Amino acid sequence: MRRRALLGAALLAAPALAQAAPQVVVIGGGFGGAAAARALHRLGVAVTLVERDATYLACPFSNAVIAGLREMEAQRFGYDGLRREGVAVVHQAARTVEDRRVVLADGGALPFDRLVMAPGIALHPDAIPGLDTEAMPHAWRAGPQTLLLRRQLEAMEDGGLVVLSVPANPYRCPPGPYERASLIAHYLKTRKPRSKLILLDAKDAFSKQRLFEEAWAALYPDLLEWVPLSSGGKVVEVDAAARVVRTEFGEHQAAVANIIPPQSAGRIAQAAGLTDRSGWCPVDPVSFESRQRPGIHLIGDAIIAGAMPKSAFAAHAQARVCAEAVAALLRGEAPAPPKLINTCYSLVEPGYGISIAGVYQPKDGLLADVPGAGGVSPLGAPAKVRAAEAGYAEDWFRTVTADAFG
Amino acid sequence: MARVLINLPRTARRGEVIEIRTLIQHVMETGYRPRADGSVAPRDIITHFACLYNNEEVFAAELAPAIAANPFLSFSLVAAESGILAFTWTGDNGFEQTETRSLTVT
Amino acid sequence: MRICVALSVMVALPAVAAPPPGASSCAGCHGGGGMPVLAGQPAEAIAGAMLAYKAGQGSPTVMDRIARGFTEAEIRAIAAWVAVSR
Repeated sequence: MRRRALLGAALLAAPALAQAAPQVVVIGGGFGGAAAARALHRLGVAVTLVERDATYLACPFSNAVIAGLREMEAQRFGYDGLRREGVAVVHQAARTVEDRRVVLADGGALPFDRLVMAPGIALHPDAIPGLDTEAMPHAWRAGPQTLLLRRQLEAMEDGGLVVLSVPANPYRCPPGPYERASLIAHYLKTRKPRSKLILLDAKDAFSKQRLFEEAWAALYPDLLEWVPLSSGGKVVEVDAAARVVRTEFGEHQAAVANIIPPQSAGRIAQAAGLTDRSGWCPVDPVSFESRQRPGIHLIGDAIIAGAMPKSAFAAHAQARVCAEAVAALLRGEAPAPPKLINTCYSLVEPGYGISIAGVYQPKDGLLADVPGAGGVSPLGAPAKVRAAEAGYAEDWFRTVTADAFG
Repeated sequence: MARVLINLPRTARRGEVIEIRTLIQHVMETGYRPRADGSVAPRDIITHFACLYNNEEVFAAELAPAIAANPFLSFSLVAAESGILAFTWTGDNGFEQTETRSLTVT
Repeated sequence: MRICVALSVMVALPAVAAPPPGASSCAGCHGGGGMPVLAGQPAEAIAGAMLAYKAGQGSPTVMDRIARGFTEAEIRAIAAWVAVSR
């Protein structure tokens, strides 16, 4: 009854957004969700952010934490900045999404006129028989797993074999495993030089591949070995207790094993019926509205974004565009077709950065590359270019976290 | 010579069903793909695979242009007796490559 | 063309104007974390730099790859918007 009344009021008030502000709920307080909540608030929309945790631990730069180059506290961001601005923040897990209301873990409910979900990813370690993530951490969500992998590397004796396994596409942060391999190799080179790192890959090609391979040949020639799918790189099972990693064609006795499992959209997206058979969420590329359930918008790693990768930069860019689209729809207007940008930096050692960039626009129902734009850093560039890009990576992190979290 | 990967147990009990995995590194050029200069890259694929167990064919496959590069084939057989497994890939431009592995059945 | 540009500048002046395509992505980098802050700079200077990067001039590492994804009209609209954005 109450819901019906609210809905009616929202419809009546739609042309006068600022007066009887319709309710928008944002689920998920990562880069996408936090930036969307702030952007919506600035557009005059009454917004409530639902986030389970009191603070957020950022994934970008967490590979540097694993390699001992950065401390975890530099990755932590809170929500006081959002609260100060007037965004309501509710620290509850979202349990289900009903018709125009979000049900919280404590049984409470938040009504919404439109919902924005930035649910991130769910990890599926059960897809690899034998995997126990306490023995073989994934460290693919910043937090205790990041520190567990760091401690395992610190505890490893010099001469040990580190095995890192990469899943098939799609997954969060396409170049992330290769940055991680680079920074772990840097740690081994400087601290445990008799050790080796094997990078087992379920693919034959990867993001910024020639740039990584150029850097590996120069920096870690005898230390880091990449084994692609066609050379037997796909992991099919592990013996977590014995630290044995088995591929389709052989096995490796690891001292430390970092198994990054296959992924899908976050669990709440699945529970809400927003995923398709791929496990990810199809969305309209103009409004980021779900193709499964109208009135619900999705951004970030959980969505099928066509050519746009699953990165914090992309989630932030999508958040800004989605907020504008939601505000337009609440005013009764059609959102304008957007263009979005992604830039993603990777470190291959301290002071040596490489990047990939892209510009995207809606095409045939997906986000497609704008022809002629984008691409990677040049091969064979001088050290000052690599140093500049390492610096830009840090500049970006400071800026984007300030924009998302205040 | 193309690089070949083969995975099978060295030993098996008589009557045991064993799994065999094979992979050959090959471009599997379809014959339909236009190159940068506009000409079409000529077809170059593996067309046939066979596994002989002590000279008796126990598994074979026909491969077509739609099959991805580096074809991976997995199959199983019953370990009947000790002997030699011979794996042969044949394809366009006279391609032929054979690898052998021994299997001890106890 | 010139008239078009002038118009888009005028439309973008109110702080609440919707960002033109591409403009909202700029905040990911250009917000005071170390890279140049665009808000408050003259729109003509921002557009000039972007157009130079698009033409392959200067020595940016990333902005050339991004600028090539936009037409001159889009670049001028973005510049006008980010110059007055918060």
